[in-house]
Amino acid sequence: MEALRVEGLSKNFGGVSAVDNVSFGVEVGERLVIIGPNGAGKTTLFNLINGQLPATSGRIFFLGQDITAIPTHRRAHLGQARAFQIISLLLNLSVVDNALLALHGTKPYRFKLFRPITHYKLISDKVQETLKALDLWGKRDELVKNLSYGEQRRMEIGLSLGLQPKLLLLDEPSAGLTMEECSGIIDMIKNLGLDITVIIVDHDMDLVFGVAERIIVLHYGQIIADGTPEQIQTDPRVKEIYLGIEE
Amino acid sequence: METAKQETITQPEGSQLVTFAPHVAGVVILVILPAFLSSYIQSVMTRFLIFALFAMGYNLAFGCAGLISLGHAAYFGAGGYAVAVLKLHYGSNLFWVGAPVGILVATLIAAIFGIIALRVSGIYFLLVTFALGQLLYSVAWNVSWLNTPGMQGIAGLSLPSFGIAGFTLNTTSFYYLVLLVSLICFYLLFRMVNSPFGRALVGIREGEARMRSLGYNTWLYKYIAFVISGAFAGIAGVLFGYYNYLISPTHLGVGTSFLPMCMAIIGGVGTFLGPVIGAAIIIFVELFASIMTPERWPLILGGLFVLAIMFAREGIGVYLWRLWNKVSYHYGSIKG
Repeated sequence: MEALRVEGLSKNFGGVSAVDNVSFGVEVGERLVIIGPNGAGKTTLFNLINGQLPATSGRIFFLGQDITAIPTHRRAHLGQARAFQIISLLLNLSVVDNALLALHGTKPYRFKLFRPITHYKLISDKVQETLKALDLWGKRDELVKNLSYGEQRRMEIGLSLGLQPKLLLLDEPSAGLTMEECSGIIDMIKNLGLDITVIIVDHDMDLVFGVAERIIVLHYGQIIADGTPEQIQTDPRVKEIYLGIEE
Repeated sequence: METAKQETITQPEGSQLVTFAPHVAGVVILVILPAFLSSYIQSVMTRFLIFALFAMGYNLAFGCAGLISLGHAAYFGAGGYAVAVLKLHYGSNLFWVGAPVGILVATLIAAIFGIIALRVSGIYFLLVTFALGQLLYSVAWNVSWLNTPGMQGIAGLSLPSFGIAGFTLNTTSFYYLVLLVSLICFYLLFRMVNSPFGRALVGIREGEARMRSLGYNTWLYKYIAFVISGAFAGIAGVLFGYYNYLISPTHLGVGTSFLPMCMAIIGGVGTFLGPVIGAAIIIFVELFASIMTPERWPLILGGLFVLAIMFAREGIGVYLWRLWNKVSYHYGSIKG
């Protein structure tokens, strides 16, 4: 079964087409990595899939449902979770508040007006479990802005995993991390269940070839190669355009 | 380092009483003392409570959700005008009628204005709320139905009646009525701020895009917060109508809108009780200013505002609270 299907998707900013007639499908449980030079349209593609930007043309199907015109927050309810390239955690709130808000987002009692947020046993347990798994429980009352960059990154990704999404969108999860921190994130992604489909945008080749089952190469908004890591490594056009090696 | 140190220190035995002394003092000042004060001071305290309520309701939108509205007097004034129109045209002074009608009118207007204003955000939101407030101001100025013949505004209001034979309100009992209503509202707001809804508002203030991708319908949250905030302004407006005996277009205008914002900023936007402290400071400074130099009150208010922003950015309430914590810690450790 296909988790995500994108058909003829385009996004124009004025006269510039950032994403140009892109079509692909992702099977449930697949780990797809999208690579491409800066400005290739990777983040724009994520913004279209997750709904931060409306598509100029084309359609997006999520688990068989047409979601092209559905707002971001409803896509979250359908099972999409996203970790942003630039850390989007709520920096002025505490670690535990961030976790609470993340885990409440798709719960029916997120609108409850009069009951204290900490009184939801199920969520509180889940918050504790998630933060302990991230090794952040000891720092739960710290403001997020006081955490190290690596911790913030780990938290951003960890919280989106805690949502138990059906489709996980990771935008440059390794950006700005040390090699050690990066391998920790590779392990986190590898340990995910096969019911979770993962799409990753990244530049870090350790991460790309460490987790990818399939790679799509974007260039000027168009797909120029789509295949297994081995196929991509030997594709002459990819070498020429993306890796910049001319033979 | 400083803060980490403070957190690990356990309060010495017996200092519990010291920590809660401000709360005890608050209850004494608000509940017990007024019964023994002159009716003039009682009436000033009534005014303080009304504006504290207004400012706290305002702070649900301003402090929690980060919606900078400069038109909240529209909902405050609407509550007051509802009471006034009931008295002027229908001769009714019943609290049981005036309060629900006033709250309903204020909420309805907030619900309509919210749809318009929340199409934009940031400084544009401020401008749209300001314009909508001024719109209501000019409506009140020009529609003769909303004016006592021969003047601007509606005069001749009185304290509400409860329809109970032999029971009429005086300044003292009206003070306690306002106190009761305020305490109920404070309690409701306190529960709201700490609920999943209230926390989500803070999350939206800090990062709307993230909250959206987490599954929150951020527009709806902001809208609900705005309307609830308008409803509380309406309650304050109803009480103000009964209290002030006079409702005029200025109570819908930008001058009145500025007050709760100013109170919240001076007292502390990020805290629950900050707006109350801000209201206390403004109302009582206004009292002394009106005795000493009535015509210079705007100058003093402006100066106070500037000083608070320059030297107590987080709000005077926050500074007072920290000061008190220091004092109580030292006192407690000496005792221990």
